[in-house]
Amino acid sequence: MRGLRRIQVGIAVAAVGLGVGVLLAVAGGQHNIHRGAYAALALGIGWGFTGTGLYAWRRWPASNIGPLMIAVGFAGLVKTLAFSNDSVIFTIGSLGEVLIYALLIHLLLSFPSGQLDSRVDRILVFIAYVNTIAVQFAAFVFTDPTAQGCSQCPANPLLIDHADGAAGVIGAAQLDIAVAVLGAVVAILYRRWRDSIPSQRRAFAPVLAVGSLTFLLLMSSLIVEQAGLPAGIDDGLTLALFGSLACLPFAFMVGLVRSRFSQAEAVSSLVARLGGGGGRGALRDALAEALGDPSVELAYWVPSQDAYVDADGQPMRVDPAPKGKIATAIEHEGRRVAAIVHDAGLAEEGDLVHAVGAAAALTLENERLDAELRAHVEQLRASRARIVTAGYAERRRLERDLHDGAQQRLMALGINLRMARNQVESDAQQAAALIDASLEELKKATAELRELARGIHPAALDGGLAAALGGLAGRSPVPVDLVEAPHERLPAPVESAVYFVVAEALTNVARYARANTASVTVARNNDHVHVQISDDGIGGADPARGSGLRGLSDRVAALDGRLELTSADGDGTTVRARIPCG
Amino acid sequence: MIVADDSVLLREGVTRLLENAGHEVVGQAADREELMRKARAHKPDVAIIDIRMPPTHTDEGLQAARTIRKELPGTGVVVLSAYIEEAYALELLGENPAGVGYLLKDRVWDGDRFAEAVQRVAEGGSALDPEVVSHILGRRRVPEPLQELTPRERDVLGLMAEGRSNQAIADALVISGRAVEKHVASIFTKLHLPPAPEDHRRVLAVLAFLRS
Repeated sequence: MRGLRRIQVGIAVAAVGLGVGVLLAVAGGQHNIHRGAYAALALGIGWGFTGTGLYAWRRWPASNIGPLMIAVGFAGLVKTLAFSNDSVIFTIGSLGEVLIYALLIHLLLSFPSGQLDSRVDRILVFIAYVNTIAVQFAAFVFTDPTAQGCSQCPANPLLIDHADGAAGVIGAAQLDIAVAVLGAVVAILYRRWRDSIPSQRRAFAPVLAVGSLTFLLLMSSLIVEQAGLPAGIDDGLTLALFGSLACLPFAFMVGLVRSRFSQAEAVSSLVARLGGGGGRGALRDALAEALGDPSVELAYWVPSQDAYVDADGQPMRVDPAPKGKIATAIEHEGRRVAAIVHDAGLAEEGDLVHAVGAAAALTLENERLDAELRAHVEQLRASRARIVTAGYAERRRLERDLHDGAQQRLMALGINLRMARNQVESDAQQAAALIDASLEELKKATAELRELARGIHPAALDGGLAAALGGLAGRSPVPVDLVEAPHERLPAPVESAVYFVVAEALTNVARYARANTASVTVARNNDHVHVQISDDGIGGADPARGSGLRGLSDRVAALDGRLELTSADGDGTTVRARIPCG
Repeated sequence: MIVADDSVLLREGVTRLLENAGHEVVGQAADREELMRKARAHKPDVAIIDIRMPPTHTDEGLQAARTIRKELPGTGVVVLSAYIEEAYALELLGENPAGVGYLLKDRVWDGDRFAEAVQRVAEGGSALDPEVVSHILGRRRVPEPLQELTPRERDVLGLMAEGRSNQAIADALVISGRAVEKHVASIFTKLHLPPAPEDHRRVLAVLAFLRS
């Protein structure tokens, strides 16, 4: 920073020095009748731009605007050296005479961000530099000013040959190019003003207005020069142009001050409005007004869901922000509270957004709590609906299983017994065979009923989680390492949820994972149970695919817990659940 | 006859029971399509149909039974159901209980009684599961047209609804055939059934009973 400071002081000194030089040069020159006025205006332009440029540079050190303004200032001083009677100084001034306009085009097109955002902008600026440096040089080497009726002008040391025709052709081309470029620039500036949001407009209007006026005057004077109208008009236009140029740095100043002032005003009126309360949406409206962006949206941070939601608690996409929008995160006491989703045009006013956000942070935090509550309610409502639906489907499945399984077997058993009864006297051997077959059916029916009952409530759980999980691990077709299981009793709903999470996860391992081994860890940490089931299979499980995981997730969520699935392709699958059991 | 049930186990079992009882089973069907095809081909005396069959496992059997009754007047239907639903019974027997039976599935264990019920339906009679009958009779509020009947007459009507003959009713209630005839005549009068051949009036009485 200190180095930069030194450079800026150096620039200020150089500008003053060059300004004094300009005064001397003009005073010594005799080839312009308005030289007094020109000298005064040149100092206004040169020092004005340099001064405001230094101010802008210090305020926005990262932006090119400050340095560009300083360059314009110096170009304005250099230009005036053409009034000198000294041949070398005259030549420097003449070569640099129109560079200031290219720099101005660069400055205005890159205002306020300091960057040339579009391809068209970059092309225009490039043409302007070529036209004011290379073409200017080409024209100058064919021009002998003394031969052009300026008898008091000094000699041109770069003169190759005075060729009126060549100089004329090049000069005319230069003028045509300049007029075309200036027309395009004015059109772009107008469109930019029209498309800007109100808060930008307030700050940029003076700059864009005076800038456009300058360019229009420049265009007119070029056209007049080309048309060869009387010198009086030409001189008048040139004086007006210089006057407008001299005003330009102050327009920048006004814009800067105004944007700072409007920022302070916006924040203070926002604070006043926030004190006034108001219903839902009042905060959004207040922020929209303070930022001058009616499209502002608020996204509240819900840490437990690791996501943003809107005021109704519905999930909201913030990162990446919608097209043409930018989300600025707002913190309160070091914690993320919300994000203000605003027009991308406000990006240059990051300070304003942050200042407004900071002023509203406490209110945002309050509304955030509201939104978080709504998000929870919304989540509960959805999961409750899913639980009811799942419960219905589950009952239907049980009924179907009962009907297709045990009930059919019992029916067949009854028929066998009936036939055995019919034959017990006539054919005792056949009857005995039928009774054997009946016993076989009975065994199968009992086994099916047992499986069904386990699906409803695993009896093994009555002996504690460790024993029940041991049973699950033992029945799994994939070898399971039961690393850890709590031996103390947990609340029944928690034990049941843990059991079904492990059971479903192991079923999935057996069905889809193509794993060699799996491991199960259930550990109690303070007031939470942590469940983890990992396998070494193919991974790539999609949580959206099966209803099984979803059902589990709801089951766990019903106990205020969370379920996560990690399953990268080729890297096995891990299901983790965390359930409070305080 | 034809036996239709999506479970092979039950199809085979019911077939063997019926064959043991001296009936001839000409075909088995696992679903509604197969049942309809075979019923149209064989025109059996009776089709024994499980109410729940693929594809939806709800009431395909019931729909098939109605279609058969409409298309093949000579074919009776006995619908078997794991549960008793009065609504199903009414839907099935409601229009005309002749040649229709609705029985709880486990009745097949009763062997002879089941075979008899099937026989009755084959001959154009009806068979309503005693469970349905006792359900209707067991309602706390006796429905309107039946209020006029004495308890004994209600018993007789219930047995009529099951599809039993006067003799069978007499045996079941341990009264004389003459007494049964008197009760039956009284029931016809009290239910305001118009004079008609005896069989038709019995059907009408059963309908009145079902719709009560």
